Amino acid sequence: MSEYAFRKIDIDAPRGPAGALSDAKAKSGEVRGLVSKGDIAGALNLILTDPPYGDGVDEAKNLTSSAVLLILNSTRTAEIPNHLKNLDPEQQDHLMAYLYKAMGTEGHGGDVSGSVLLTWHEKLTEVAGVGCIVRVMTDRRTL
Amino acid sequence: MSNTLRPYLNAVRATLTAALTLENFSSQVVERHNKPEIEAATSPEVLLHPLIVSRNESERVLIEPSVNSLRLSIAIKQADEIEKILCHKFTRFMMMRAEGFVILRRKPLPGYDISFLITNFHSESMLKHKLVDFIIQFMEDVDKEISEMKLSLNARARIVAESYLATFA
Repeated sequence: MSEYAFRKIDIDAPRGPAGALSDAKAKSGEVRGLVSKGDIAGALNLILTDPPYGDGVDEAKNLTSSAVLLILNSTRTAEIPNHLKNLDPEQQDHLMAYLYKAMGTEGHGGDVSGSVLLTWHEKLTEVAGVGCIVRVMTDRRTL
Repeated sequence: MSNTLRPYLNAVRATLTAALTLENFSSQVVERHNKPEIEAATSPEVLLHPLIVSRNESERVLIEPSVNSLRLSIAIKQADEIEKILCHKFTRFMMMRAEGFVILRRKPLPGYDISFLITNFHSESMLKHKLVDFIIQFMEDVDKEISEMKLSLNARARIVAESYLATFA
């Protein structure tokens, strides 16, 4: 029966809810450091790679969203297009998903103004196109 | 157009363009039925992720796409009581004549002031970019219309008050 042993391996173990939360904590801490140093590109790159998704990781999702908002708020408008161009398509999709999420939660405890989000949305649509929005709509994994 | 309104409308335009990819899709539950899936909500797998575009707490647009239909709900800015009344009367006037507007929904979604329902039959018989233009134009005009009505209402109230109080002077 040894050939069935692989079925017992819990492939979710390293990235279960607890793992996702500790990952998110580490990442948002690192992002805070990068933003204070002024390294927006590095912070964006870090937070938009392998974001937490799925059930039971709400805390990790919220941590990641607030880290993304921190980055968005501390970027100068003129620099946005350059940062966006350096992201790969998957990261752009994740950023778009976070933008819509932030716009959806605005008004109940949101700490970001609508105009910042709209500016980012506009620039991201220019760079990534409408397809990016379609991928956010059709994605079953909520960030 | 003011500076903050333009990015808002651009975001709505991009989202709406993305969402307006509709195709004919018969009901999976009832044979020989063809219903807007976003309204019927009988098969969750054909509904897509709803998106909200918001400018501030009071102005936002909810776009709910599905495979063959799309529901767009608008929350119109209402700063005071007069605007609330005017907005209610204005949207009610239009929704009572909903078939004249083809894509207008008869009732708004809770929390929103006016809703549109676009099905694949609309996007087949009308041009997609013109549909998007119509919605954007509508959003521009409705704000303008309501603020104009508010101004003329105030002006009229002032004249009435003056002519009434003039008899006591």
